[in-house]
Amino acid sequence: MKRSTILTEKNRSRWATIFAAIILLPIGISAIGLDVSRDAEMPDVFLEPVDSKWENCIRDSTEMRFRHMDVLKEIRDKVIRYGIRDEVTLAGCGDCHQNRDQFCDRCHAAASVTLDCFGCHYYPESASERTAIPGGEVKNG
Amino acid sequence: MDRRIFLKKSGPALAGVSGAMSLPILASCSSQDAQADSPLAGKKWGMVIDLTRCQSDCTACMDACRQENNVALHGDPRWDVHWIRRATIRPKDESSGLEEKSVLLMCNQCDNPPCAQVCPVQATYKREDGIVLIDHHRCIGCRYCMIACPYNARFFNYKDNPEWPNKEYPRRSHGVAESCHFCAHLLDKGGRPACVEACEQAGQRALIFGDMNDPESEIAQLVKEGLLKRIRADWGTEPKVYYQGL
Repeated sequence: MKRSTILTEKNRSRWATIFAAIILLPIGISAIGLDVSRDAEMPDVFLEPVDSKWENCIRDSTEMRFRHMDVLKEIRDKVIRYGIRDEVTLAGCGDCHQNRDQFCDRCHAAASVTLDCFGCHYYPESASERTAIPGGEVKNG
Repeated sequence: MDRRIFLKKSGPALAGVSGAMSLPILASCSSQDAQADSPLAGKKWGMVIDLTRCQSDCTACMDACRQENNVALHGDPRWDVHWIRRATIRPKDESSGLEEKSVLLMCNQCDNPPCAQVCPVQATYKREDGIVLIDHHRCIGCRYCMIACPYNARFFNYKDNPEWPNKEYPRRSHGVAESCHFCAHLLDKGGRPACVEACEQAGQRALIFGDMNDPESEIAQLVKEGLLKRIRADWGTEPKVYYQGL
């Protein structure tokens, strides 16, 4: 049997080190990158304290900030599956939170979440003129 | 008292005691099945369309429906959506002696709805009060329900609706199916469907709406008379829209 001239007994440990480095490189890069992005790109909107005037919201205001999507889905299922319409509607949110730019779009833009609520549901217009286009995306101007 | 007599006497006594103790449990089970807390329980909405009163040139119900439910009218029959529409039926040959008739067609709110059976994502379902409706959040736009419906009552949103007359009620976005749901959002608030209100205001009173489970209601008595017809009643879908003078 012909013996390999590249992978010899002598340089085996050197090859092992090179392979290990190649495998671990992406993990290292992402670890460093994550650390950098955490410092640099955390949107300020998530760190703002909840205004005390929203304390009388339909749920606890901190819960609303982090779980409003679940709360809305809960209410939705109650309404359309069981006909229980005793809680707020999406348009009803706009009775207090009149500025959709500030209330909805700012955080969702920071979190890269595309909302498709407003293609079908009416939300009171904000100060800036807007036109709803298919898919619920919002075009300012 | 020997053992035989003791067992004979204690058997029925034990059965009685255990039966009495299980009664409250049994009672609670049956009340859970009926879902007494649901506001929809026990109702069965139905409609009678009186074609002898309906005027063939009147569009009050259709206009009211579009206004209330934001039903799209693009002006092109390929894309128009109708929750309630008018069709003219003609006899196959002149000699039959039958007359041409103008008939209102809508979702028949089947008690055994084929659209709900075929829906692959359970977006279409029958509510506890018998109304068949669509969860548009779930609808994937496969149009299976449109194929399954024997009444051609389902329509597809090929385009977004440019009009939005009633901001209180959502419109439908492009890519979902829709049909009449007896204005379920108005019924839940104690109202009546928009078409029924409009027909009464127009002075026709051709649409009669009510709870078929309530023996006092007008519709229950009309149905009891047995003079009403249903479209494709022999197909087993058990529609809840009845016709007079069809």
